[in-house]
Amino acid sequence: MNNNNKMGSDPIPQQQQEIEIEGGGGQLSPSSSGYAGGIGSSSNSNPSSEIESSEIQHGENNSTSNGVVYDSASWVPGKRHDDEVSSTLQAIISFVENGGDCVNFVRAGKHQLLVILTKSVNRCFEKNPKFDMTPLLGGTDVVFSSLIHSFSWNPAAFLHAYTCLPLAYPTRQAAGAILQDVADSGVLFAILMCKHKVVSLVGAQKASLHPDDMLLLANFVLSSESFRTSESFSPICLPRYNPMAFLYAYVHFLDVETYLMLLTTSSDAFFHLKDCRIRIEMVLLKSNVLSEVQMSLLEGGLYVEDLPIDPSPRSGYLSPHLGHHRPGTESPSRCRDANPGIGGPAGLWHFIYRSINLDQYVSSEFSSPINSSHQQKRLYRAYQKLYASMHDKGTGPHKTQFRRDENYVLLCWITQDFELYAAFDPLADKALAIKTCNRVCQWVRDVENDIFLLGASPFSW
Amino acid sequence: MGLSSTTTSSESVRLCVFDLRRGQHEGQELDKILFFFPADCPFSTQLSVIGLSEGLITFTRIFSPEAACEVIEAERHSHVFYQAEPDIWMVMIVEKNKEAEAMWRIDALQKVLSEVHSLFVMFHGSVRALLEKDPGGGLVRVHLHSFIMDYLSDFFVGKKLHLPSFRDCLKERGTIQMLTVSREVAIGVQSLVKVVESSCAGSTACNSLVLFQDLLVSTTLTPDDTVNLFTYALSRLTPRALSSVTNTWSYLRKGNTASQVATDSIIGNAESALNASRDTSPSRQRHRYHVPRPLQQEKWSKGKDGFLCTDIWGSQNDDLAPATPTVWLKQTGERAYLCVYQKKYLTIILLIPVTSIINGEQGISIVKQQLLENASPKILKVEEKLTRGWGGDNAYHVAGYRYLLFDSDRSISRASPPGKVTTLTKDSLLALNKLREEVDLEKSRTKQDDPSREKDLELCIRVKNNAWVIARVTRGKELYTVLEKANETLLYASDAVEQFSTRNGSADHWLSWWVGSQSNFSNECAHAIDSSTERHTDLCYYVSWLALSKGTVMVLFLWTKRIIVISEA
Repeated sequence: MNNNNKMGSDPIPQQQQEIEIEGGGGQLSPSSSGYAGGIGSSSNSNPSSEIESSEIQHGENNSTSNGVVYDSASWVPGKRHDDEVSSTLQAIISFVENGGDCVNFVRAGKHQLLVILTKSVNRCFEKNPKFDMTPLLGGTDVVFSSLIHSFSWNPAAFLHAYTCLPLAYPTRQAAGAILQDVADSGVLFAILMCKHKVVSLVGAQKASLHPDDMLLLANFVLSSESFRTSESFSPICLPRYNPMAFLYAYVHFLDVETYLMLLTTSSDAFFHLKDCRIRIEMVLLKSNVLSEVQMSLLEGGLYVEDLPIDPSPRSGYLSPHLGHHRPGTESPSRCRDANPGIGGPAGLWHFIYRSINLDQYVSSEFSSPINSSHQQKRLYRAYQKLYASMHDKGTGPHKTQFRRDENYVLLCWITQDFELYAAFDPLADKALAIKTCNRVCQWVRDVENDIFLLGASPFSW
Repeated sequence: MGLSSTTTSSESVRLCVFDLRRGQHEGQELDKILFFFPADCPFSTQLSVIGLSEGLITFTRIFSPEAACEVIEAERHSHVFYQAEPDIWMVMIVEKNKEAEAMWRIDALQKVLSEVHSLFVMFHGSVRALLEKDPGGGLVRVHLHSFIMDYLSDFFVGKKLHLPSFRDCLKERGTIQMLTVSREVAIGVQSLVKVVESSCAGSTACNSLVLFQDLLVSTTLTPDDTVNLFTYALSRLTPRALSSVTNTWSYLRKGNTASQVATDSIIGNAESALNASRDTSPSRQRHRYHVPRPLQQEKWSKGKDGFLCTDIWGSQNDDLAPATPTVWLKQTGERAYLCVYQKKYLTIILLIPVTSIINGEQGISIVKQQLLENASPKILKVEEKLTRGWGGDNAYHVAGYRYLLFDSDRSISRASPPGKVTTLTKDSLLALNKLREEVDLEKSRTKQDDPSREKDLELCIRVKNNAWVIARVTRGKELYTVLEKANETLLYASDAVEQFSTRNGSADHWLSWWVGSQSNFSNECAHAIDSSTERHTDLCYYVSWLALSKGTVMVLFLWTKRIIVISEA
């Protein structure tokens, strides 16, 4: 991806268009800028294997209008599929369209094809039917590929929430304070991130940044090697913020994993943003924020093994309908001790907690037995399915779900304030699992100062 | 024949049967089409439907050779595919329409296609066989046309075709509903069956089905054949079907003269369209072939001797007496005469292999005579006992639950009575429909990953309106429940279902069937013991028992499909 204009020179039109397509494609949602969900690697040279993606997000099919396509077959526009398969598929799609209809998906065995054409690309073609998109998409392979890949590992993609790097509350406050300083000086958004996790984030008054846009931004920065080598200034479209306009992003890596993004509407703000960055960097170094970020990265976040037996003095708390205090059962604190190597108490293997008001989620670290990337991917898909089932367009959102199959016991619980997704051993006891979910919620609330970015929220909705 | 009557229905549903082996050359594509509904649809439209379907099948075979296209979901239509025989495909295109409650479960629509095909094969043999008999295709077209149109006539409400929608999600097409009987009655039925089947002269094996009301009491056929005959009996033979006031395919239709007229006109209209338009099959062909229409409505009646009779199959050449119908049995691959005897609400279906009767109708009347002589007292006694024990239409209602329990291995189901299902809110039904769709998909995925494996799944969802919709799938048995009034916790809801499945899944429910298939049972035990060493041994959910004439065998099932205790008493 060669669209990073160094040293603040004006972006050339070709690059603007390129990004417009990318951003515009994401108008419906960020995922559509990938045009399809992931099979992990779109650089696969065998086109049929792209279609053969075997994991299908069935429940999500209805949400194609939402542009959200998880882990389904990918069809990357601009990619040349000069074979029978692509022409057959094109013929089928246009055939159905001639009949005044529009293909959503085709199911054959465990395979499923998904077809989406985003509106803005349509608009582009309406303006000029001979419009050739291929050169515009050239070079975006890496970004698309990485975005598609994130649909097979990054919960942000289906949760529409972002996650924070765990940090002591004062440390995050310190980072936020200096970001707030620059935001007041005409910067639209100031974002400090470490890998895919947010360290701190500040927006100018009334400006709000959608988690989907943050996913796109982080993916854009992390997938392009050139950002890492020097400071960059690049036009970018954030489709949730404004699908028809550009912002300019100043990006600078403070260390190998931590980077600062300053967004502005002005195309000639490079030097101002550079000054801001220098100020921020100085403060961050002085206040040890960067080294604490490194520490946190090493230590990781929440481990299921650490789930407190008696999370807080308020342990008597019982949730409205997940919990059901049955007479004769033992008290919550009598549960089996955390057993390293087989997950947390009651067979808890993993969880994701999404705070609805904060638009943030926290996901426990993978621990045994979810060790291999294969197992992690499988769990990810199970979560996706669970999410899709809970948020069914026609009948959802549901309130609670308990699902047991040969791989997991999955529990999902949605309230006005949060959504909890938890995975247990398939043999887990139902009553204990429910109790454990309550404890997870309590635990998250007890540590929310450290795992979430609180207050001064840029989200105005 | 009202000419305008087809246009409304043709908009929302299309159904076609085609053969991929035919019409390979350009210009001959029309030859592929064996059936198309509505028949007055322009050829260009018919061809485009079949062209698209064929394209999809060919395309999806590239990467899914073993299971080609199942469904195309488009914005406004669902295209449902069913491969009835090798290269013989049935495709149904239904329009989605939220206002008209046209929301479907793909699996349920596929079952409609598979049902009409199974019934067709039972009466006429396979489509391929008919094509081989008459390679021009005229024979099979005429047969398919009258058969499918008669089948569809049951789905018409006025002029509109009402296919199974989300409101039917607590029903399972292609399954048998059994009557629960006490052990004493079961033994009585068994001895009746022995007497009935021995009415056939000589050593040939007859088969029989016994129904009481609309429920099966006993069968000696395989599940496949039983399902077909049971389905047919319910639609045309049982006392309820004979009185012809209700309809078995759909909750909605109330048979009345108006709809009958409409249906007739649709069929008639379609027929005339068929005849007028197809050069290759002039109306002469209809007369050239004698085409029995087993699904024609109101064609069966009860004779003086208690046997049901019909003139559907025409009459003997030299005799005016109507010919006895015959059906193909899958089990034997042979034709069998279909004799139906009815005593009040008891229906006995006797299947006599055609090869065992040398002198045609004369031989059959001897069998009938013998049946009356030998079995009359037993029939009377069994009928009395069953009537005494009959709990009415709501016998299997379980207060507080709306459920569907079904065993896919044996094709048996039991569900809340339709009248009780209608008390559920639309939201609950939609949620359950969605849940069933999810389970359908999971099942088919598991099957494709490893055909020998069966899905074990438990799914409880508390939906927006606070109802619980619950699915449990284990060892080929599926239980779907809606609990609307349970305003309680997950544990409460799942305990409730636990109690329910222990009670209703227990064997007196499946008893009659198992008595009929004892040999299967011992295989099952062996299989279950083999796998009992697997790790799910600490879960014990499912208790079941089986009564044999020797005594009682106690079987304790694990919910996760292993038997752990077998004791004989």
